[in-house]
Amino acid sequence: MSSHREAPAISKDPVADNTDLYAFVSPEDPDTVTIISNFLPLEAPFGGPNFFEFGDDVRYEIHIDNDGDGRPEISYLFEFTTEVRNPNTFLYNVGPIDSLDSPNWNRRQFYKLTRVDKGRHRVLASHLACPPCNIGPGSTPHYRELAKAAVHHLAGGTRVFAGQRLEGFYIDLGAIFDLGDLRPFQNLHIAAMAASPGVNDSNGFGVHSIAIKVPKRALTRDGSRPRNPADPRSVIGVWSAASRRRATIRGSGGHQAGPWVQVSRLGMPLINEVIIPLGAKDDWNGASPADDSQFLGYYRHPELAGLLPVLYPGVFPNLAKLTAARADLVAILLTGIPSGIVPGFQNFTGSTLSDQLRLNMAIPPSAHPKPIGLIGGDAAGFPNGRRVFDDVTSVELRAIAGATYPLVNSSYTPDAAASLLTDGLGPNSTRYLRHFPYLGDPISGYQTKPLAA
Amino acid sequence: MRQNRYEEEPAVSELTRRGFVKSSAAAAAGMTVAGALRAEEASAEAGQEPLVAYVSDPGKGEISVMRGDREVRVRDKKLAARIYDAGR
Repeated sequence: MSSHREAPAISKDPVADNTDLYAFVSPEDPDTVTIISNFLPLEAPFGGPNFFEFGDDVRYEIHIDNDGDGRPEISYLFEFTTEVRNPNTFLYNVGPIDSLDSPNWNRRQFYKLTRVDKGRHRVLASHLACPPCNIGPGSTPHYRELAKAAVHHLAGGTRVFAGQRLEGFYIDLGAIFDLGDLRPFQNLHIAAMAASPGVNDSNGFGVHSIAIKVPKRALTRDGSRPRNPADPRSVIGVWSAASRRRATIRGSGGHQAGPWVQVSRLGMPLINEVIIPLGAKDDWNGASPADDSQFLGYYRHPELAGLLPVLYPGVFPNLAKLTAARADLVAILLTGIPSGIVPGFQNFTGSTLSDQLRLNMAIPPSAHPKPIGLIGGDAAGFPNGRRVFDDVTSVELRAIAGATYPLVNSSYTPDAAASLLTDGLGPNSTRYLRHFPYLGDPISGYQTKPLAA
Repeated sequence: MRQNRYEEEPAVSELTRRGFVKSSAAAAAGMTVAGALRAEEASAEAGQEPLVAYVSDPGKGEISVMRGDREVRVRDKKLAARIYDAGR
C-alpha cells in the first residue's frame, strides 16, 4: 500500500508504522495548510476489546523543511498518554460513550503537542483528548459528535486532531501484489484473465491520524504569506515519522531510555513500498531525508519500470528500450519540479536530493479538483502536495511507465498505455469530509461485513 | 539509524567514569550491572530514575549510558570489564 507494512521491520511494529501523508492548502480556509499523517495500517473496525490506539512509547512527528536542505526547520511532535478509569473490567466501555469525558469510557488517550522551530521546543497544548474508536450503535451512538469534539482549536489559528479515521487511500492490493496485475488491463498481463474493475482492498479499514491545520505564514522560512508560485519561499517539503527510545527494558513495569530513534518515515507515497528494494527498506525508514542521495540509484533505474514490459508483453516497447537514468523521476520525487517544465508551476526545493512531499503553498485550492492532479492540469493536486482523494497510485504508475520522461527528453515517445495505467479505482471508492480533518469517520465494528470467503 | 537534527547528542566526554559509576549505582535495584558497583559510590544526588548501560564493545571498553532522553558514550576498559564480569 502507500506505505502500509512496506518494510520488514516496521511491518512487525504497526503502532509506529507510518502509512500515508497528506499536505494541501485547506480548501475552505486557503490561508492555512493541512497536514495529515496516518499510522496503524489495516485496522479492522471490530478489533476489540483492546481497540486500536496510539503508542505511549512512540513519538509521532511531522517535519517541515522550508529552506531545501532536507532537514526540518519546523516540527510538530505528538506524544500520547493513556488513562484507565476502571482496571477491574475487560471492557473498553461499560455503557454508551456520549462525550470525551464519559465515565463509561475506560481507556482514554490524551496527547501533548510540541512545536520545534529551529531547535527550540515550545509546548502548544497538553492533555488534548482523542476520540474513542468507533465501536457500534450501543457504545458510540453519536460518533460524529465525539469526533468533532476532538478537533481542538489552539492559539494562532491552529487546529489539531488525533484519533481513528476511515482509511482514505484506495488501492487494489490483492491484484497488484499478485505479480503486478492491474485488473482493467489484466487481459494483457502475462497471466492473462478477462479485464475487470478494480477492487478497493482497504475499503472499510481504519487508521489512526494525526492532523494539524496551521496558517501558511507559520511554515514559511521568513514568516511571509506565500502569494507568488514562482517564489522559492512558497515551497515547503513535508515528511512524517515515528520514533522510539533507543533502549527498552521489558517486564517489572518496563522502562525506556535514551534518545528518540526514527523507525518509520514517509514523504512521497509508495517510495519505500515500490522504489526501495527489500534489503534497503529498513535503513530507508531510519534515514534522514537529507541523506537520501544514497538511494539515488533506485530512483534512476526503478525495478518496476523494468518489470512492466515483462509483465505486459508487447504493451511497453518504448519503455523496454529506455535505459537512461530517469531524471524525470529524480525531479518529481527527490528535488521537486523546477520552473519552466510545467507552465506556471514549480515545487523545486534545490539540489539536495531528499524524499519529501513538496507543496507550493501559493497555488490556491482548485474549484474543480482532479484526482489525477498535476498531470491532469490541476496544479493544486499531487505531486504538488497530496490531497486525501488524490489518485497517487495511478499518477506514479504512469510516471514510472514513462509518461513523464518527455519532460526531460522531448525525443522520447511514451507507450500509449503509459498515460492510461490505473488499478481501476478512484475517490468514490471511499468517503471523505469537506472540512478538517478531511478523512471520513471510521465505520464501527458493528457495521463490519466479513471478507468474501 | 540516525537521530533527527533537533536531538542534540551530548558530548562523549560529558560523563566521567566516576560520574558514570555514581549514576549506575543509583539504579542498583533495577539494573544487573549496577550490582557490581560499590554501594558507597552511590549518592543521593543521583536520584531514583533508572538508567540503561549498554556495553557495546567490551574489548574497547565502549559503554553507552542512557537516562531520560539522553545517551552518553564513554570508553573505560576497566569499568567495561567489571560490568562484563558481573554478567557472567
